[in-house]
Amino acid sequence: MELLERYLNAVRRHLPWLRQDDIVAELRANLEAQLEDKEAELDRPLTKAEAEEWLKQLGSPLQVAARYQRQQYLIGPALFPIYSYVLRLVLTWLTVIYVIANAVTIAASNQGGASVLDAALRLPAMWLINAGIITLIFAVIERAGVHFPEKFSGLGPMAGPMTASWSPLDLPPADASGGDWAKPRSFTRALLEVFAGGVFLAWVLLVPHYPYLLFGPGAWYLESLPYRLAPVWWTFYWLVVSINIFELAWKVVDLARGTWQRPQKRARRLAMHALSLAPLCVLLAAPNHVLFLLKNPVADAAAHGATVASANKGVLQAVAVLVAIIVLQLLWGIGRASLDAYRKRQAAM
Amino acid sequence: MTLVENLFENLRLELRRGCLTLAVLAQLKQEHYGYTLRKALAARGLEIDENTLYPLLRRLEAQGLLTSEWREEDKRNKRFYRLSADGQEIFVRLLKEWNEINTAIANLL
Repeated sequence: MELLERYLNAVRRHLPWLRQDDIVAELRANLEAQLEDKEAELDRPLTKAEAEEWLKQLGSPLQVAARYQRQQYLIGPALFPIYSYVLRLVLTWLTVIYVIANAVTIAASNQGGASVLDAALRLPAMWLINAGIITLIFAVIERAGVHFPEKFSGLGPMAGPMTASWSPLDLPPADASGGDWAKPRSFTRALLEVFAGGVFLAWVLLVPHYPYLLFGPGAWYLESLPYRLAPVWWTFYWLVVSINIFELAWKVVDLARGTWQRPQKRARRLAMHALSLAPLCVLLAAPNHVLFLLKNPVADAAAHGATVASANKGVLQAVAVLVAIIVLQLLWGIGRASLDAYRKRQAAM
Repeated sequence: MTLVENLFENLRLELRRGCLTLAVLAQLKQEHYGYTLRKALAARGLEIDENTLYPLLRRLEAQGLLTSEWREEDKRNKRFYRLSADGQEIFVRLLKEWNEINTAIANLL
């Protein structure tokens, strides 16, 4: 039958080269036997339309050939959990390293918003490239596992090296996922927080008048140096003081209203975290990127000008890294909060 | 196809997959080639389409559960399959598992 021959030839084109003759010979024997039965039943040869309908029922040549492929997945279900874990791990750390490295580079080179935008736009390409490399590696492992099963029998979540040494004792404590903030607070703890907050605020307010509270004996040495702090530090200082007053006031109100026993709300924690960025951003936005000045610019410029410039650059870079870390922590917190909210909504449905 | 029908179809295929292997192993205690095996299974109430059965035979052979040989029958070369020694052992164990599941499900219903 010519149509069957054409069909088998089409199947052959999609079969693995080494096994195609064998598979087609077997398929031909089976299909010819089936055809004979059909024709015996009808007591006549199939018409062209009937033959076409029969072959259509068998499936397209591509579909038929695909069933004979040894590998049905790029990354199979046994390997997928490890692939997914590695992918998330690598992409997370890649993002962290990329953001910090770019923050330092941009701060060091005094580039503007265009550089930040440029770095942000390059990030998706980096994700894609790295995800592609990881996928390729795992696809190769999957392929090796399919073709040499005896050598790769240890692959997969049930028998893999990641699970061989697994023990329940290694798991984190049950309350770790909720964090300390999720636990009910005791009255003693709430009182101690207010007391410690008050002491810290008093200390911060006293530091400008008694620098040795911050620097110890080094305060007298610093006094003798030809440098002084730029005015931007006062803005920084008063912002720190304001945030501490605000937080202390909030705790006092909690204590007065009897709401101290409630676990700290995540949103409040995140808001305070975001607020802590404000003083650091003030330093980053210092006029002309100057944090330290010479006491006598005319007299000391030649001897100490370079040191001051270097100190300005170094401290600004450190502040930029700090800001990047805090922003990442904040994003992580917001991400987890959103995920938990989504889970709660799904659980309630 | 609605979402429920689609879900049912996926679950049905998943449920059938293991059962088909057991049925093929059971039937191949006697020698068969692909088409007669399909007819024998259909005669006992288990319809399997060609695209599932023929590749399944090759997979089971590659796993060492079946043996095969090319032989001429009715002036046509055919590949005949039968259960191997390993296949027989695996079949007995799978059958025990199947019976236990069957009993458990019967107890649940």
